[in-house]
This record gives sequence, C-alpha cells and structure tokens, in this order.
Amino acid sequence: MKKHLCRLLSAALFMALPAAALAETTINSTTLFRFYQDDRPGFEKKQLAPATQFLGVDVDKLGDGNLSAHFYGWGRLDLADKSFNNDQADGNLTYGYLQYRFKQANAQVRAGRFFVNEGIVNEQLDGLNARTDLPLGFGISAFGGATVHTAHIAGENTDGKGDGIAGGRMSYRYGGMLELGVSGVYETTAPTLMNPNNIALVNDTKLGDHRLIGGDIWLSPVRMVEVMGHTSYNTETSEVAEHTYLLNVKPLKDLVLSGEFNEHRERNFFFSSAMFASMLNNLNEKSRSTGGSASYGLVKGVELAADYRHYTRDIGDADRMGGDLRFTLLDNTLRSGIGYHYLRAGSGFAVIPSSTASASFQELRGYAMHDTKSYFAAVDAIGYFFKERINNVSNAWEVVTSLGYHLTPDLALSGDISYGKNPQFTDDLKGLVRLTYNMNYTGKGDKK
Amino acid sequence: MIRSTILFPLLALSGLIVILAACAQMSTLPSLPASHPEALGAGPVSCSECHEDNQKGTMKAFGAFNHSPAFVKNHRFYASSDDRLCATCHKGSFCADCHTNQVEMKPSVKYGNRPDREMPHRGDFLTLHKIEGKLDPASCYRCHGRANNQSCVACHR
Repeated sequence: MKKHLCRLLSAALFMALPAAALAETTINSTTLFRFYQDDRPGFEKKQLAPATQFLGVDVDKLGDGNLSAHFYGWGRLDLADKSFNNDQADGNLTYGYLQYRFKQANAQVRAGRFFVNEGIVNEQLDGLNARTDLPLGFGISAFGGATVHTAHIAGENTDGKGDGIAGGRMSYRYGGMLELGVSGVYETTAPTLMNPNNIALVNDTKLGDHRLIGGDIWLSPVRMVEVMGHTSYNTETSEVAEHTYLLNVKPLKDLVLSGEFNEHRERNFFFSSAMFASMLNNLNEKSRSTGGSASYGLVKGVELAADYRHYTRDIGDADRMGGDLRFTLLDNTLRSGIGYHYLRAGSGFAVIPSSTASASFQELRGYAMHDTKSYFAAVDAIGYFFKERINNVSNAWEVVTSLGYHLTPDLALSGDISYGKNPQFTDDLKGLVRLTYNMNYTGKGDKK
Repeated sequence: MIRSTILFPLLALSGLIVILAACAQMSTLPSLPASHPEALGAGPVSCSECHEDNQKGTMKAFGAFNHSPAFVKNHRFYASSDDRLCATCHKGSFCADCHTNQVEMKPSVKYGNRPDREMPHRGDFLTLHKIEGKLDPASCYRCHGRANNQSCVACHR
C-alpha cells in the first residue's frame, strides 16, 4: 500500500510539472537529513541517517481559471539503519485533489484525497466534497468516499475504521452576528477484531461504529464579544460525546480575554477508537477542563499572555497556570519569547501512579530567531522540572540551535543541532541539515 | 393511493421551483477570492492591520480573525466554520505541518528553525505524554485518534 502511495505521489507530482509551467504554481519543498545514534542499555546500537522529503504543489488557474490541483506528501529513505519502523523507506500522500471553484456563492467541488474540517467533522477521505452558500444566509456541504486507513492496531489487521464515510454540514449565518451549524458523519460498519481482549467499547469482537451528529455556534451580539463551540452526539450510544465552547471578550483593541469549557463523556467520545478506549480506566467517566486566558499587546511588537486551566477527571483534579511574553521586533525579522507554566497534578496523573506520587512539574521555555535577507538563526530552549523524579531524573531539557542562509529568496539551506538530557536518554544529541524551497509564482497570500 | 399520486408530483414541482429560485438567487451571491490579492509579510499578521474592521453580508468581521495569541491557541474553533477564509492566505500544507494522517517526525523537528510557530510536543514529550495523556486524553484524540497514530500504536493497544 505504501509503495502504491509513494508511486502515486511521485506520478502526481511528475504530471503536475508541465501544468505548473502554464499555470500559477506554488511549491513548498523541505528536504531533511537527520543524523543521530541510538545507544541504550539492552538495545542494539544504531546509527541513523534518515533522509526525508516533504513536498507540496499547488497549481492554480487551470482550465477556465477556476480549476486547481493540490498535492502534499512526504517520503523517507534510511541511509543507515532503519529509523522508524521495519521499512527502509516509507511515505505518505497527505492530500492530493482537484478543486473547482465557482465564481458565485463560495461554491466548490473537490475530488481526490483531502481533509474535511467542518462543524464536528474532522476526517480525511478519498472521495468527493461539494459545498455552496445558499440564499438567505444558508449554506450546505456534503462529502463521501473511502476512509483513509492508517497504522494497524497492535496485533490486528485493521486500523479500526470502516471502509466508507459520508457526511456534511448545513449552516445559517445572520448579518455577521450569528452562525449556526448542524453536521454529521457516518462511517460504514467497523471491522471485527481477531484478538478482542481488553477492548472495552462493545461487548463482542466488533469495534464501535463511528457515527456522530452535532451542532455548532458562533455568536457575536456585539463586536467585542464572541461565543463559539460545538456539541457532538454519538448516535450509536445515544449519548452526548463532547461539549467544547470558547468565549472571547475584547474590551480593548489589544486585549483578549478568553474562557473555555470542555467536557467529554469518554465512552461516547472514544467509542470508535480501541487504542484510546483501552488506555482509560473508567470509560463511564466525564472528563472536564475549564479555563481562562488573557493576552494583551503592551506596545507594538510586545505581547503578554497569561492562562489558567482546571482539569477534572475521576483520577483527580489538576491545575495548569502560567504566562508568556512575546516580542516581534525589527519589522518582524526578530521574534522571541519566554514562557513559564506550572502544572499541579496529583498521584493519579503520575507516570507510575501511587498514593505518594506526584505528576507536578514546572515548564520554562525561551526562544529567539532572527531572519534577514541573507542569513537566519534561531535558538530554542525548553526545560521541565519535575516535583518527583522520573526514572530517577529530576528534569528534562533540550536546546535547539539553528543557522541558515538564503541562497536565493526562495531557496534556503540550514542546519540544526539539538542537545538535551531527560529521563529517556542520558545524552540526546541530534543533528539535521535542511534544504527549503518555497516558491510562489503569483506573489499572493502567504508563501504557505 | 390517489392522494399520494397527486401529492408527490406537487411536492416535486414545489421542490423544483424552490431549487430554481435558489439557483437564480445564488448567481448574485459573492465569493471570497481564491487567494489574498497581495503577498503577506513574515510572521503572524492581523487582518485589521490593513482591512477596516467592517462586516459585509453574512461575513464575519475581519477583526475576529486577528492572529492574537488567543486566536492561534484556539484556531480550531475558527477553522471548523471558516476554512475557506483561512485558505485565501494559507496553503493546505500550512495546516498539514501538524494536522496529517501519517507522519513520523514531530513538527518541531521539521521546523527547528521556526520556534515562533509554537509547534506542539517540543522537548522530551516522550516522557511528558505519560502525564499529559492522563490529564486530557481528548486533546490527544483530536489529532491522534482517527489519524496520525503510527507512533502511538507502536506501544499502545
């Protein structure tokens, strides 16, 4: 399957080349050579040198000017020992589709492999997607096709998904103040497992079917206030799966106050995922997180943000709080930031739970980057300081330094070196060489 | 039986009239441009830096999409109803840097030269995920539940 995908990606990109010469084309290419050694007690020592190519091609204004083609994927070849799985080479087509945009009503049709992210729907499929605005503020979209399968569940010959998927969303907008949406997804029957032990979702050998409906809202009665979010309902368990809502208040031009509420009914939310369901102790619980944040632009180029979140689960309560200060200076060429967060979490959240354990830790991060017309450089440091030692180690930290040169405005060569110590590795030294080519014939929009 | 033979053509005719009327109306509905008409600078931008914060038709005001830290952190709420507006400036590959069906590399490794992009799972997340996963498994599920779980299934059933 992977070989077919690699060939399909290569063929699609090859076919796109002549079209690219005639139409408006954007190419994003990142080639990475990574070098590291894996030397752990009890494991075979490995020299690793994977070469990875990420490639995205967008060809616009084909045909009558409204047709476009979009591809993105990656491929990897291990130049030394196998780096990730049992394959010396690997690859994946993330998306590849043709799109036709009509001149009116934001109508468009897509065919191929793509993501659908609308309302409660967040899926990837090989198929068709059509959408349009309708009179009086209404809108409609629909999709259908084959699910895109991923890695198999351990010990099984399936990833747990059905083979077909369909769904859509209907919406209503009123005068820039209100948007209401109703969306749903229907996946064909989930496969049967060969080894159903510890699968807590359904009482036979079959996984839960992925079928959800839900509603979403965006409401801004006055310009400074907006409420948005969605609720999803699992039609297989006949219960609510998720509530997730956000309130934004903007009393001043550069001040944003936010409040967030999330609640998940675990069995209904993870119903079609054997992997997630099997990791939970109590599928009948409700988990909840509530929080608030504030961000304020102190002066142009300087932003201060603070946040707090409270987590409630049956294994305990936890709180996370902290702040960030970000700088964007010298006409956006110098960007930096520092941040501090503290997680207070009890024994139930610890790596190895026990009555005296603690999962609390402090997080400290600082970064700076400078991007000129010729060179660019960045340094990024992050550290976690555990209240209770993990693997007899009290902290985990990593520093990444990067230095690069713009060979042309579109082509850049850079290299990273990272070093750290953590509970997994006594020394974690990695090197990377990166060749980036971001070309946009039209000079419109962002380069990505 | 007679009632249904009369009712069905009437309903079908009514539906056809509604569809034709809607199509006639739709030809007057505007579309967003396929892409932003001007090149954008590096780093996060705010729509209202250039656009007046006004609102036309059923569109939301531009100010709602200013890329403040709060917007970046909560962008999923906006993307789920306004991805067409996102697409005028961002190519799909911008989203696919993090949101993908299968990738073997943390986004922060791919973009080690762009610490400002706030890529997830920086540092030793292999250790951290044992705590974060218990804290908020739903946040893991959004990206790794239905896709991009090749690394997860290596250890987790």
